[in-house]
Amino acid sequence: MGPGVREPTTTVTVNGARLVANLDARVTLLDALRDRFGLTGTKKGCDQGTCGSCTVLVDGRRVLSCLTLFAQCDGRQVTTIEGLADHPLRAAFIKHDAFQCGYCTPGQIVSAAALIREGRAGRDEDIREYMSGNLCRCGAYPRILAAIREVASGAHA
Amino acid sequence: MTRTLAPLVGAALDRVDGARKVAGAAPYPNDVRYPDLAYAALVRATISAGRVSGIETEGAEGAPGVLTVITHLTAPRLSRGPATSIGPQPTPPLQGDRVDYDGQYLAVVVAGTREQAVAAADLVEVRYEVDEPVLRTEDPRAEREENPWHFDTTRGDPAGALRTAEVRVDSTYTTPHLTNNPLGPFTTVARWDGDDLTVHDSTQHTANTRSALAGVFGIPEERVRVLAPFVGGGFGAGLRSWPHVTVAAMAARVVGRPVALELTRPEMFTGTGGRPSTVQRIRLGSTVDGRLVAIDHHAEYPAAMDDAVRYRVTPRGAGAYACPNFAARDVQVRLNVPPTGHMRAPGTAEGLFALECALDELAFRLDIDPVDLRLRNVAEVDPENGRPWTTTGLRECYRVGAERFGWYGRSPAPCSMRDGHRMVGYGMAGVTFGWTMMPCRAAATLHPDGTATIATSATDIGTGTYTILTQLAADLLDLPPDWVRVELGDTRLPKAPAAGGSGLTAAVTNAVQDACRNLLEIVRNGHPRGTDVRAEGASAPPEREDVAPSGAFAAVFAEVRVDPDLGELRVVRLVTAVDGGRIMNPKLAASQIIGGTVGGLGMALMERTTPDPGSGRIMNANLGDYLVPVHADVPDVDVLFVGGPDPLTPMGVKGVGEVGVVGVAPAVANAVHHATGRRLRALPLTVENLL
Repeated sequence: MGPGVREPTTTVTVNGARLVANLDARVTLLDALRDRFGLTGTKKGCDQGTCGSCTVLVDGRRVLSCLTLFAQCDGRQVTTIEGLADHPLRAAFIKHDAFQCGYCTPGQIVSAAALIREGRAGRDEDIREYMSGNLCRCGAYPRILAAIREVASGAHA
Repeated sequence: MTRTLAPLVGAALDRVDGARKVAGAAPYPNDVRYPDLAYAALVRATISAGRVSGIETEGAEGAPGVLTVITHLTAPRLSRGPATSIGPQPTPPLQGDRVDYDGQYLAVVVAGTREQAVAAADLVEVRYEVDEPVLRTEDPRAEREENPWHFDTTRGDPAGALRTAEVRVDSTYTTPHLTNNPLGPFTTVARWDGDDLTVHDSTQHTANTRSALAGVFGIPEERVRVLAPFVGGGFGAGLRSWPHVTVAAMAARVVGRPVALELTRPEMFTGTGGRPSTVQRIRLGSTVDGRLVAIDHHAEYPAAMDDAVRYRVTPRGAGAYACPNFAARDVQVRLNVPPTGHMRAPGTAEGLFALECALDELAFRLDIDPVDLRLRNVAEVDPENGRPWTTTGLRECYRVGAERFGWYGRSPAPCSMRDGHRMVGYGMAGVTFGWTMMPCRAAATLHPDGTATIATSATDIGTGTYTILTQLAADLLDLPPDWVRVELGDTRLPKAPAAGGSGLTAAVTNAVQDACRNLLEIVRNGHPRGTDVRAEGASAPPEREDVAPSGAFAAVFAEVRVDPDLGELRVVRLVTAVDGGRIMNPKLAASQIIGGTVGGLGMALMERTTPDPGSGRIMNANLGDYLVPVHADVPDVDVLFVGGPDPLTPMGVKGVGEVGVVGVAPAVANAVHHATGRRLRALPLTVENLL
């Protein structure tokens, strides 16, 4: 690293594993996950906070990891798509063909998991509204809606 | 073959790559990592015309972690790869001081981390001699190229027929510049090993990237390997090998390390093409009972200064309406704009927007139902050559779509339907889509354990190629689907055409069928036990003089609500009926149509790449300001498939990747006219036009 760039010690728990790193202070949570920790399931779609592809949970809340500096996450719990291995949304997305290229899918699933847990996925119009921060350029929206609706209603069990 | 494409072909099998995609485990190009990977950041022009008079790189070169800074002064000299069916390769980057568009690459900075590269790129200082850019097609300085690709057509006497027609429509329609914006930023990761180049690339056409790079660096194609097993969407943006692909490979060669070049979202707006804006004048002549006697369609649209893209806006065969007199003319106008490209249903989506809206104008004038008007003019044979279509599902699309939608419950007069305070409109459009197929090769291998591998260099950009080839091979080889493995997106595999033009499925399924047939032939003739048995197969577009290959047909029906006080427009319901030939997998094919419909909705309602009128710089080059449909914009989309296998090829497939886009914008615009009585002839249909 060059002069002037700080490398703060940051301790983060990612999907249950405690990670300690001294990274360039400019590194975002998204780039730390992808470039430094090999967790490439979280996707970069815009790097500007506009598309939702990089959505992760920080202390259980949906966060755009491209707009979050890694150093800000000191002491926090981060959950990525890799940490939702057993979530029923994964199977529901496959069943309803809720993706095509699959690039936005991790962000959609992480967002939807939080939405369901918050109890905000009871009505179609709520799902549509609260999921509107997650863009899908392939246009799988009606099928994403169907997958979330099914899991939210418990019908997948 | 004794088996007849059952039971898996035509079944709604789940996507075989689904488990990897929902786990975030599918490797896209920007997921590729090498231990000594370096990162590149681009420096782009901030003027639309002129030349670079000076470029200072010392600050960047001295910045932490920087490995090199390459400009036109230091870049190796490059050649240009061979042209393809869609035109010449883009101009090689960093080869001179001329600037032809805002966003053109002027330098690349390579550093050990992405943060270092991005920070150092900011330190490169460029001085310019600025010219007055040519930014509008009506600028008298703009060079106009009439009939640029020799598609212009005249049949009969359109001018005479228009003069004597009982009823005439003469309207000008405009469509804006659109940007594909696949969610996966285009990325090239390049690595040299001596004279061997490996690139992981966001492409829809691995073979094109290979031949482009081989041509640029003057090396044999066999020394270039292109990998694209997964791509984060393309919608046409990945059909050309764009300058950043070359920059990445050049940078890797200079620093002697693998280099990742990931385009930023703003760079996606200037570096990967798009749908050019159009101005179209369309004139229709008709009898009073709704028989078309003349169609005259004239389209003008921009092309970049130092670039050429094969393109056609005026639809072939006047959109396949039975009309004895028609003329179609395209004009490309050279402007200081970024290189144009292809976006899902390129040309057709713009051209049929004008034609299908003009037909609605005619139906309204004649007081004839818009569906009935189209039914009276269905071309039973190809208007360009009089040959019968291989399939004719268009009438069925109208019938089935109208029935599902409840079209005939429509009260025909504009402003005559309401839902409480809101005005209700029903609109529709018909679609005749072009047919495309390119030569394709594939291999089938039977392994000693009884499993099989299907391999071809084609990409699956989300269309479902992995899945449908699994289904097909399982049927042909009589194996369970999980005994079939499909390998795609690698130029070491047999050469396939682009995932584009709605042509890949026909090409690749026929090639795989041929490969499986050849494999079974070897197996039947006996082969040594315990070894792989491999056979290749091929397909090529049939050359037939007696029939006209028909692409997909569709009919789209839309219902809108318009708030009379606020002008707010909502599309509340869409029905699309499609004749796509044999449907390999109805679940995945419906996803293609739904996705196309959502793309069409964006075109109808919100999408517009907006240049600054003075400088030409794109002012909304991000996904916050360039609006695309979100969950809350998208209503229920009902998809119906009609028709059956097309006899043209053994597989009977037509391709459904683009047909879903085309009819949406005209159906919505026509519904807006029905709701409000206002005829909007410019896309997108935004609120300020409805106040």
